Amino acid sequence: MVEPREIILNALKEGRKKLLEHEALEVIKAYGAPIAEAALAKTPEEAGEIAEKIGFPVVLKIVSPDISHKSDVGGVIVGVDSKEKAVEAAKKIIENVSKNVPNARISGILVQKMAKKGLEVIVGGLRDNIFGPVVMFGLGGIFVEVLKDVSFRVAPITYEDAYEMMKEIKSAKLLEGYRGQPPVDKKALADIIIAVAKLLENNPEVDSVDLNPVIAYPDGAVVVDARVILKQ
Amino acid sequence: MIEKFFNPNSVAIVGASPKPGKVGNVILANFKRRFKGRIYPVNPKHEEIMGLKCYPSIKDLPETPDLVVIAIPAPKVPQVLRDAGEKGVKAAIIISGGFRETGTEEGKRLEEEIVKISKEYGIRILGPNCLGIYDNWSGVDTFFLPDEKMMRPPKGKISFISQSGAFASALLDWMAYRNIGISRAISYGNKIDVDDVDLLEFLAKDDKTGLIIMYLEGLKPGRGRLFIDKAKEVVQKKPIVIYKAGKTSRGSTAAASHTAALAGNYAIYKAAIKQAGMIEATSFDEIMDLSKILLTQPLMKGRKVYVVTDAGGVGVMLTDALTMEGFILPRSPEDLKQELRKVLPPHCIVENPIDLTGDTDDDRYKVVLDILLPRDDVDAVVVGALPQVPGITPKLADYLAEARKYGKPIIAISIGSKEAERFKDLLEDKGIPVFESPERAARALRALYLYSKIRGVARE
Repeated sequence: MVEPREIILNALKEGRKKLLEHEALEVIKAYGAPIAEAALAKTPEEAGEIAEKIGFPVVLKIVSPDISHKSDVGGVIVGVDSKEKAVEAAKKIIENVSKNVPNARISGILVQKMAKKGLEVIVGGLRDNIFGPVVMFGLGGIFVEVLKDVSFRVAPITYEDAYEMMKEIKSAKLLEGYRGQPPVDKKALADIIIAVAKLLENNPEVDSVDLNPVIAYPDGAVVVDARVILKQ
Repeated sequence: MIEKFFNPNSVAIVGASPKPGKVGNVILANFKRRFKGRIYPVNPKHEEIMGLKCYPSIKDLPETPDLVVIAIPAPKVPQVLRDAGEKGVKAAIIISGGFRETGTEEGKRLEEEIVKISKEYGIRILGPNCLGIYDNWSGVDTFFLPDEKMMRPPKGKISFISQSGAFASALLDWMAYRNIGISRAISYGNKIDVDDVDLLEFLAKDDKTGLIIMYLEGLKPGRGRLFIDKAKEVVQKKPIVIYKAGKTSRGSTAAASHTAALAGNYAIYKAAIKQAGMIEATSFDEIMDLSKILLTQPLMKGRKVYVVTDAGGVGVMLTDALTMEGFILPRSPEDLKQELRKVLPPHCIVENPIDLTGDTDDDRYKVVLDILLPRDDVDAVVVGALPQVPGITPKLADYLAEARKYGKPIIAISIGSKEAERFKDLLEDKGIPVFESPERAARALRALYLYSKIRGVARE
């Protein structure tokens, strides 16, 4: 396994403003956040092999330093449930991307375990010029996008701080479960919030972090999508 | 340390002037009136001002003053500061504006120059572009608003740190008019050196300060975490009531991530205020409401509140307002009801809110408070005594003051005209804070509960 610091420094050396998705996932995992298992395939055949190893269903995503809205360019295929289909999907993605963004550099295709349905939350972090590392928590989808229902803390933070962040959002009741659902695993979410805080504290080169979505379950949580922006 | 800003034995006032209306004239007059130490006016154009020998330069002073106050045009400040440095001065308040706040290249350059000089000589600087310090104990008063325009408040336990000079002077005037006591007030302007962190550190140790009010626009880059840590220490000794100005989001700054787009300036300050255990006031009214309850009332152990009133409607309003702020208004338990029925006329309502009704007298309040306050299931009492009813007399204020012996918060609301105002003054003189509406009373009590939690006294 590559050290998270090495991944970050390497990206900077290559003049990149952000980590590639598999790098971002790896870095956040190294700081103790559980992630939806994933690996980077260089060829369609390799995508098939990785998919088989991870277990179905999987999602395939294009990885390119030049593409940030992957779905818009046909760079994401979800619900792939066999090795053959994984190879096909990888080929299809490469074809879509070559057609839609002909000049994009392609680093590979991320093959990732599809996360089960659960409660979508967002965990973020940023470096503020006054307070330094700051972490954020909110519920995903309309809660964050429309209602901006999020809470913040200045790092370093304790578990108690992380629990308070979850309590503080207006939609906090959804974390407690509704319509007969059991409450989500807050310890797992706290682990993720603290991982983001540590990532920012230990790496001054990191400017901001979005883990969106993180899927929360009654037992555990996984980071599905990670974005790590580096300082310019 | 910054002690000398507040307690100097000698002070030089550069820019002292005999001309009425001049900043250097008002400041010198302030010091002459109240400061007990030695005063040296500095101005090359005069030999004597207000009966004091005036010196052409700091270099000519017979001693090194503990504090130098500078009130001259910005371009001349660097030279004066250098003179002060040569003389061995360690503390200077720069009142003058004309620095970075102007947004000009020249202003920026001048500010950088004075930063450099202060570092070279090891001079601590308050300002520039500020009102400086009003200290009710030592008589240091660099607020260049004349006494007849800005009243000076009496001595008291509140200290006040303000990023805005205008707000500082307005608040002092407001407090003076209402006879609210002040210990020390500081306006630090551009804060090139002494800032919020230094001032909190000083006020934390200051036994003449019982509560700190802060008006903050923004901290200096990189000072945020230190500010939180320092404030966290301070609030274990005395409460900090903070008003954060400039709440609108910087949102539009091209944000590379979702998180950055959501993180308005205020959102992060709000988090920091909470983490530090400071009490946030969200309006001007609240600054004073929260301050007076925190200054006068003991900490509360829980959220159970009883309302005692002579007006049913006010009781209902208080119930709503308190409940909305997260308080529990328990139904009176059977034993309490029985006890109350024994001492109250049958038409009184012994359910919480306890309604003594419009024909009440002072004594009904007294007996009820004596029953309520010693109980373990009562954490605070809110008295809604409308003074319009005939049976209420000034004696009620004495009863409420007496009830403070139970060591639990007692606050009151009073609504009305002259009589209500008189009643309010009477109560506040005796340490019972009075609020003009149920909502304001409830907000204030909420702040007391929050602070009690921060101090580890209150249960969830």
